[in-house]
Amino acid sequence: MVLTVQEIGKCFGQQMVLQGVALSVAERQTLSVLGRSGCGKTTLLKIIAGLIAPDSGTVRLHGAEITKKPTEQRNVVYLYQEPLLFPHLTVFENIAFGLRLRRLPNNDLTHRTTRMLEHLELQAHAKKFPHQLSGGQKQRTAFGRAIIIAPDVLLLDEPFSSLDPETRASMQHLFKQLAQEYGIASLFVTHDLKEAILMGDSIGYMEAGKLTTFASRQEFINHPDYGARNEIEFWSSLRQQATNHDHAATV
Amino acid sequence: MSNQHRIFQNALVAAVGMLFAAPMLYLLLLSFAEGWTFPHLFPPRVSAGLWETMWGREQGLVGGLLLSILLSVVVAVGSTSVGFLAARYVSYHRWRRGLLFLSYIPFVMSPVVLGACIHVVFIRLGLVGTVAGVVIAQLMFALGFAVIFFVSFWNAERKSLEEAARMLGATTPQTYSRVLLPISRQPLLLCFLQTFLFSWFQYGLTLIIGGGKITTLPVLVYLYTGEANIYYAAGASILLMLPPLVMLWGNRAMAVRFGR
Repeated sequence: MVLTVQEIGKCFGQQMVLQGVALSVAERQTLSVLGRSGCGKTTLLKIIAGLIAPDSGTVRLHGAEITKKPTEQRNVVYLYQEPLLFPHLTVFENIAFGLRLRRLPNNDLTHRTTRMLEHLELQAHAKKFPHQLSGGQKQRTAFGRAIIIAPDVLLLDEPFSSLDPETRASMQHLFKQLAQEYGIASLFVTHDLKEAILMGDSIGYMEAGKLTTFASRQEFINHPDYGARNEIEFWSSLRQQATNHDHAATV
Repeated sequence: MSNQHRIFQNALVAAVGMLFAAPMLYLLLLSFAEGWTFPHLFPPRVSAGLWETMWGREQGLVGGLLLSILLSVVVAVGSTSVGFLAARYVSYHRWRRGLLFLSYIPFVMSPVVLGACIHVVFIRLGLVGTVAGVVIAQLMFALGFAVIFFVSFWNAERKSLEEAARMLGATTPQTYSRVLLPISRQPLLLCFLQTFLFSWFQYGLTLIIGGGKITTLPVLVYLYTGEANIYYAAGASILLMLPPLVMLWGNRAMAVRFGR
């Protein structure tokens, strides 16, 4: 397992936000965590990234405990809902930021960054500053900046929630493609059932600070409590109706 | 736009311009005047004699100028850099409001009142009449201003940018040098300018804590005015106005460059 989280607990004052949370993510796999706003998803991701200290429990990366390790030494990247690009740097420099910190030779840095720009279809925007980009372009740049340093785990906190449906769909596709290509394990947090099913190899459901994980997507879909089956049946029946309507019109 | 309207507008702009420039021009004229007595509208003779005398060692103008520059630079650099970091601490602290209130205390007092309050303590500490004492007293005021100035800079977005840099592998010095300082160039510059000007024009606090021994330019201006030496006072005033003008021009040039 790349990431193993055991018995994580966290309180803010009197409020218990996380309670005995446990999960694991295998290599090249994506775990989708579905849950309503305020259920503790963001706190969980921030604990894994080292931005918040847990009250109890452990976080392990490739078996080694990192619970008390500083953020910059974890090689775990947390992607916010907003792209949060560095406003004083161009798209190229934003993507190359992590590589510059690692003091890569200039040729290698330019080669890798240019390749990433091509993957993201951002070559034409390399010299632009963040304020000159659209929402989707900003999000793609943020992806590139995170993935180029080959993090052990990528944590995504509803990264597509502010995008329009079309851009959102293309970003979902792009993320799956990049995660496969760069072999990145990820934890994808969302409140959208469809997105959780689409993005995750396995799925977890979070409610009031407690996480229930399912070994496979199918197990989650078949579970009667989470409404996934109903949702799929609703969309299937709608599709069937549309097909019948088209068929009748053709006849 | 009609011709009449344009003429009126230009006249208005010229009048406003004169309102700002007139005192400076008058002081300049006064510093070169010789034997300018009532009721002459203009000085009968002009010469650089006054400036030559003023630069003489016995007048202390050179010393006052250098001391003013030193004091203002130390106060501006100290308060801007410490205020930048202290404001971060205040902004992210759970007692933010209480700490911010404390920062306001020296700021809401006038510098003279602040000087009167700390005078006795400074006497006991042996700081009255010393440059260090004046620097500390001015810093107490300027630092409060700098903290209040930077508190709004350290918001949730800055914190997230800082976190983003750290997750990509940046250490604390790297986070500052590669992200936080570059994005805060303009507010840093503005705070430096404001605190420099506060120190540069400071009279009351310098006089109380300096005990008359620390003769900065504003102290000299008051001294000359008190002696009814209007020519020397005009010369010292001209010197007092030059650095702020240069800084304002520099700040504007840099703002335009950063804006681009």
